[in-house]
Amino acid sequence: MSTFLLKRFLWMILTLWIVYTASFFLMHLKPGGPFDGEKKQSPEIRKNLEAKYHFDWPLWKQYGYHLGKACRLDFGQSLKQKDKYVNDIIREGFPISATLGVCGLSLAVLLGISAGVVSALQRQTLLDFSFRTLATLGIAVPNFVLAGFAIIIFVFVLDWIPAAGWGKPINLILPSLCLSAPFAAYISRLTRTGLLEVLNQDYIRTAYAKGLMTPAVVFRHALRGALLPVVSFLGPATAGILTGSLVLERIFFIPGMGTHFIEAVLQNDHFVSLAIVMVYTVLLFTMNTLVDLSYGLIDPRVKLQD
Amino acid sequence: MPFSLRKIFPYLFPLFFIAALIPVLRFEDLPPADFSFSNGTEPQSIDPAKVTGAPEGRIINALFEGLYRQMPDPEDFSAMKPVPALASGHTLSEDKKTYTFTIRDGATWSDGTPITAYDWTFSWQRFLHPETAAEYAYQLWYLTNAEKYTGSKLEVGDKVEIELDDRQYPDQHFPRGTILSGLLNKLEKIKTGEKDKEGKPKTVNIYHVEMKPETNGIVDWKAAGELRKFTNIGTPEKISEPHGAEKVRQVLIHFSEVGVKAVDDKTLVVTLKNPTPYFLELASFYPLYPVQRECVEKYGFPDWTQTDNIVTSGPYLLDFRKLRDRIRLKKNPKYWDLDSVKLNIIDAFAVQSDTTILNMYLDGQLDWGNTVPNASIENLKARDVDNGTNELKIAPMLSTYFYRMNVNRPPLDNPKVRRAINLAINKQDIVEFVTRAGQIPAHSFVPTGLPGYKEGMSGEYNPEEARRLLAEAGFPGGIGPDGEKMRKIEILYNTNEGHRDIAEVIQSQLEENLSITVSLANIEWSAFLKKTHDMKYDIARAGWIADYPDPNTFLDMFVTDGDNNQTGWSNKKYDQLIADAMQEPDPAKRLNILSEAEQIFMDEMPISPIYYYVSLNLVRPYVKNFHPNIVDLHPLHIIEIDQEMKQEFLKNGEDVR
Repeated sequence: MSTFLLKRFLWMILTLWIVYTASFFLMHLKPGGPFDGEKKQSPEIRKNLEAKYHFDWPLWKQYGYHLGKACRLDFGQSLKQKDKYVNDIIREGFPISATLGVCGLSLAVLLGISAGVVSALQRQTLLDFSFRTLATLGIAVPNFVLAGFAIIIFVFVLDWIPAAGWGKPINLILPSLCLSAPFAAYISRLTRTGLLEVLNQDYIRTAYAKGLMTPAVVFRHALRGALLPVVSFLGPATAGILTGSLVLERIFFIPGMGTHFIEAVLQNDHFVSLAIVMVYTVLLFTMNTLVDLSYGLIDPRVKLQD
Repeated sequence: MPFSLRKIFPYLFPLFFIAALIPVLRFEDLPPADFSFSNGTEPQSIDPAKVTGAPEGRIINALFEGLYRQMPDPEDFSAMKPVPALASGHTLSEDKKTYTFTIRDGATWSDGTPITAYDWTFSWQRFLHPETAAEYAYQLWYLTNAEKYTGSKLEVGDKVEIELDDRQYPDQHFPRGTILSGLLNKLEKIKTGEKDKEGKPKTVNIYHVEMKPETNGIVDWKAAGELRKFTNIGTPEKISEPHGAEKVRQVLIHFSEVGVKAVDDKTLVVTLKNPTPYFLELASFYPLYPVQRECVEKYGFPDWTQTDNIVTSGPYLLDFRKLRDRIRLKKNPKYWDLDSVKLNIIDAFAVQSDTTILNMYLDGQLDWGNTVPNASIENLKARDVDNGTNELKIAPMLSTYFYRMNVNRPPLDNPKVRRAINLAINKQDIVEFVTRAGQIPAHSFVPTGLPGYKEGMSGEYNPEEARRLLAEAGFPGGIGPDGEKMRKIEILYNTNEGHRDIAEVIQSQLEENLSITVSLANIEWSAFLKKTHDMKYDIARAGWIADYPDPNTFLDMFVTDGDNNQTGWSNKKYDQLIADAMQEPDPAKRLNILSEAEQIFMDEMPISPIYYYVSLNLVRPYVKNFHPNIVDLHPLHIIEIDQEMKQEFLKNGEDVR
């Protein structure tokens, strides 16, 4: 297992370097820079600005300088949030997005698996049918549309929840619900299909023949095998949660990393965008590695290849 | 091992969930603010020298204060007027070029130390310093030699200051290294052999300076001194060594030559290049607010702006700042005019989406929303009528939405073609059916509403006259002299629904009225800026917001080769009039000269004005002292809440919790 992890780690370093290089040059080659605004500066002021942030250096020299700093985890000062260091921005934004993301993901798994199990056990009933319809809707409706409906219902009609903001536990409800919806829907379908397949297998019949009750059969024997596709979906789901929270953070006015990322890209704040891209890369890589590891834990048939 | 791990694995998941809830449970319960408002995008900085935007301005105006301050004019609340703030008053010399400000007794920093005239000499020096890289530095270039200081421009014979390479913190330009003074005898420019980004050869400077002795901070300019050679710190050794030049941090014009002087603690003398009738407006503009030297030099930038370190001078203190969430302000007990400050705690939310702002306002989370989604304007108007309130406040603003025309590209090089295009655009239709927020169709570049100023006239919508002008220009019915149709004209705008809708209307009007083929090109913001700055367009949309309430803020941008001209237009007479207006001490005459200049500008039409913007504010009825005005500035410290009315409102209002 340790060789597996070491190998993965080396791959991650390589991936990070490639992602960094590609993002760096793409950002600097796109037309327009961080100092362009509706009002054009006079040449003197422009020169002072470029000198301050080393934009007057040749591109390869800037690349070397910033890559060197990034290796020491120093992403410098933000070009637009001038009072802050890039690391401070991430330190403030990351826990917020992480909380939202984990809540969304947990909710998706909880809702998805429950609905999937019920659907599979009550196959071809009204309950199964309604869960499946909901799941189709959940996958089809984009989360920002869902957010609009949720705000109308919970904020303006029922008046239970404040419209937007961050700082109270109640602020988490709507965004994590909207964030989790498409994934919950997908997970419920995966669970249902997986469980139906497993329930037809011989060992399940044996378990029933031993005289076990349905809950024991389902939870102790069947679910473990049925959840494999769900676990492998968690890797891409993390990616989806990350991108999904970009939009939702804006709608619900949550000061997380997604908001910082969108603004940084739009305003050409290269240093912040680069740092956040790096964080996202590490996060995705770690999640995928964890998913691979957990295969072996859930299904004894899977062996990690060194 | 894996076996036991496998057993506990199902239980790991709930643990993961609980771990995520820990930060949620640690949310602290904040005391509610007395007043909350949406502030638009997160302020880039709260250092007055570093920023240019309106959201930053709202916060800095609460935290800091200048010599003067913009307040609603008691005679006409829709206008703003500079009133004495940290200065108790000023006198103006006969030639209108020297302002002497008296600093107010009892004005103190938030740490209790007195505010003196020396705080301005330090702050303005820092503001103008090239390493501060202040984008708004030009707001202070009205002072003598200020522009030379920012641009590190020197001429032989100038008094110079040399900062040696012995700074306490090399990456901070304050506190400065040792400063030497001298006269510039000779300035050599030497090619390094390298090329810069644009491919031009790079040069470095060798300064030959006759040194002057300094005793007790006073330089004896008459004393004889030795000759020394200096060069900037980045100069390669291979050049500095053979010339025997010492490497130094900066060689700038001596700051004593710049037009700001503290005579004593209480007296600040400001010397301007030209009579500038709007200088008090500038003195009350936030980039010119002083910062405390001890604080800046102790912590350096950006650390001095952090909540624990910052020392301020305004009606409010920085309580805390959560990035992209809120800035909380609390009353400053050491403020000189404490009686006028009404509210104890104010929250400024960094909300950007205008739909979210509306949701939060309707839900009772905001007392003031600083913008409104276009689609909701009609509904909000109807809501006001139903409730008998006046929550949606629409007021004209000193800013113009216009189209630039590239005069270097035929057929737009012909003023008649440009005028024809302008006359063929039905601006009334645009504000009535497209923008629909009560914008005013524009007939001039300078918006209406500046007292004593008569705007230029670009002519009313008149398709017939437009066709006649186009025919005169050699394109009768859109057919050119060579019998071919006029080439396709492209309208460039940045990606935005509002801009697209306007461009589409103009496209169809030009095709219908003039038979000109128009295509639309929509590109992303920064690429759009690059294209307009490089003048790679036919027609491009633009907007301009006044920096100060004076026609000059609009007109001086179109002088030949002005940084923001970007149309290629140039007119000698216009340049002359703008320069004359700058020298003219009589305010009424000056406005007449500017009027005349704008008429030339409107006759030549390098731009077509479309409409004057309006400000849209949503304000709860129990908020007092909020006055819509042409600069859309709303001092926070005079805002009051009518508590009785608020309680009643909260009881009756359905959509307020």
